[in-house]
Amino acid sequence: MSEIAVQTSGLTKKFGDFVAVDQVSIDVKRGEIFGFLGANGAGKTTMIRMLCGLLKPTSGEGKVTGLDLYAESERIKQKIGYMSQKFSLYNDLTLSENIDFYGGIYGLNPTDIEFKKNQLLADLQLTPWRDKLTGTLPPGFKQGLALGTAMLHDPSIVFLDEPTSGVDPSSRRAFWDVIYQTASRGITVFVTTHFMDEAEYCHRISIMSTGKIIALDRPDNLREKYKLPTIQSVFVHLMRQASTH
Amino acid sequence: MKRILQMMQKEFRQIFRDRPMMGIIFIVPLVQLLILAFAITTDVKHIKMSVVDFDKSAISREIINAFSQTERFDIKDFTQDLHRIDNDMRSWKTQIALVIPAGFSKDMQRGAKPQIHISADGVDGNTAGIALGYAQAILVKYGLENNSPDVSLTRRISLHIVNMVERMWYNLELDSQQFMVPGIVVVLLTIIPMMLSAMSLVKEKEIGTLEQLMVTPLRKHQLLLGKIIPFLILSYLELAIVMTVAILLFNIAMNGSYLLLASLSFLYLITTIGLGIFISTFTHTQQQAMFVAWFFMVFMIIMSGFFIPIDNMPGSLQAFTYLNPMRFFMAIIRDIFQKGSGLSYLSRDSAMMTFYGIIIITLAVFKFRKRVS
Repeated sequence: MSEIAVQTSGLTKKFGDFVAVDQVSIDVKRGEIFGFLGANGAGKTTMIRMLCGLLKPTSGEGKVTGLDLYAESERIKQKIGYMSQKFSLYNDLTLSENIDFYGGIYGLNPTDIEFKKNQLLADLQLTPWRDKLTGTLPPGFKQGLALGTAMLHDPSIVFLDEPTSGVDPSSRRAFWDVIYQTASRGITVFVTTHFMDEAEYCHRISIMSTGKIIALDRPDNLREKYKLPTIQSVFVHLMRQASTH
Repeated sequence: MKRILQMMQKEFRQIFRDRPMMGIIFIVPLVQLLILAFAITTDVKHIKMSVVDFDKSAISREIINAFSQTERFDIKDFTQDLHRIDNDMRSWKTQIALVIPAGFSKDMQRGAKPQIHISADGVDGNTAGIALGYAQAILVKYGLENNSPDVSLTRRISLHIVNMVERMWYNLELDSQQFMVPGIVVVLLTIIPMMLSAMSLVKEKEIGTLEQLMVTPLRKHQLLLGKIIPFLILSYLELAIVMTVAILLFNIAMNGSYLLLASLSFLYLITTIGLGIFISTFTHTQQQAMFVAWFFMVFMIIMSGFFIPIDNMPGSLQAFTYLNPMRFFMAIIRDIFQKGSGLSYLSRDSAMMTFYGIIIITLAVFKFRKRVS
């Protein structure tokens, strides 16, 4: 398998006259936790949606797991996991039914699904909740379950679009532990966030403003380059700079 | 195929777990059928009548008797005061007045032209017209039955009219429920599948699961079939329940082929489910979908001939009804129920319905994209 998980060059998305993503070129390595930072409307979600095949790019090139964004978007879907800020499990199905459903959609056979279900529920300490309706689950557990379900089919990349918005700090911390475990298994994690402390956990971050990438490096390199103590201050500095242009 | 079954299983689990939804699907239609079948009636019965008899003869009593014996008219009041009729009509106490002038029986026996006045409340023109028709029929019948040589009224009438032998075909009793109840079945097969499919897809859009499904390898046709098939099954279940109630409770005559009805219903259900999917492609919330579906429904029901006969509409509006798939299904269902018509008589309506079915489902599937906007 290729060591490059995601590769784009000049990827652009226009909605009418509005350029949401403007000539973005990135290379993301396998097993990397790659963060996308930016204000609302900077183009993070549009970027992720193009990579997942939810949006067709206007122009530019892109490959995900070595497959072409335009020609092979359906094949890409078998190899990626996706989780958005909206909770994407069915509240009116039980935990077990949700896992069965998504597992079945990904074409897993029932024995595999059963095995993975038991493992996932045990990992999340949710085994007693197995046959309870998902809607009754405390909010802190929902994110972990959604991520686990999005990864039932062992994707090689997971795209997480603001996965921790609306989650309390301790659950956020626990969720990042899961992200680290995921990356340590060689799975590439592509994550957007507007929490600056989370940016520090990423291997590399790219900062987006009005559709363009204005900085892309490791968090420590960025702090050093701008001689600032935190990513928070780097971000504020870059945003000021961008707005004066 | 396995993925379609996965979708169907999920759909059924969700629908059967949703108690209010089960109520909407199975209880509400029955309530609608029970209420609408009694409320929407075009029969004119029990017309409130006032009688003013200035003649007070044996003949006038016989005529009044003829009116009181039919259930079409309920005699509410006998009076000698003509002003009172005006008051009673304004206060809705009477709808029609029978006035027999003094000297009526004398005129009749002399062979002069005897006159009877009938005044009807013309505000509801339809009812008034029908009531006058009944009144006339009673008077003519009275005249014919008393066809003795000394009654010259009778002779005059029987000389002037052709003796008509009436026989109503298909709906012998002119029972309007026989006409309306199959219509209600059509209305339900319009509302329920359209609402179910529109709401179910928009709900998934609202909560974000549709976006999640879109990033899975689930193909568009698998997703849509996984929705359409459960709704088809539910709609057929609904059809079976409503028809059972119609036939057992309302004694609706089902003279045609059940197989034909089921196959043509399939074409229509594809149309209404397709409309629901179509609505879901350009609405973002369940409220929006509900309003748009409501708009379609009102247009379709009014322009279907359900309670306003299409022949009574102005020409331009009549042409408009050809855009309405429900128009064709309404005609088909009524023909199958009442006349027991076979496909050869329904081919034109069926062809039109198929045409719209294909257009709508194609449009819906084309417009439904596995991408977000």
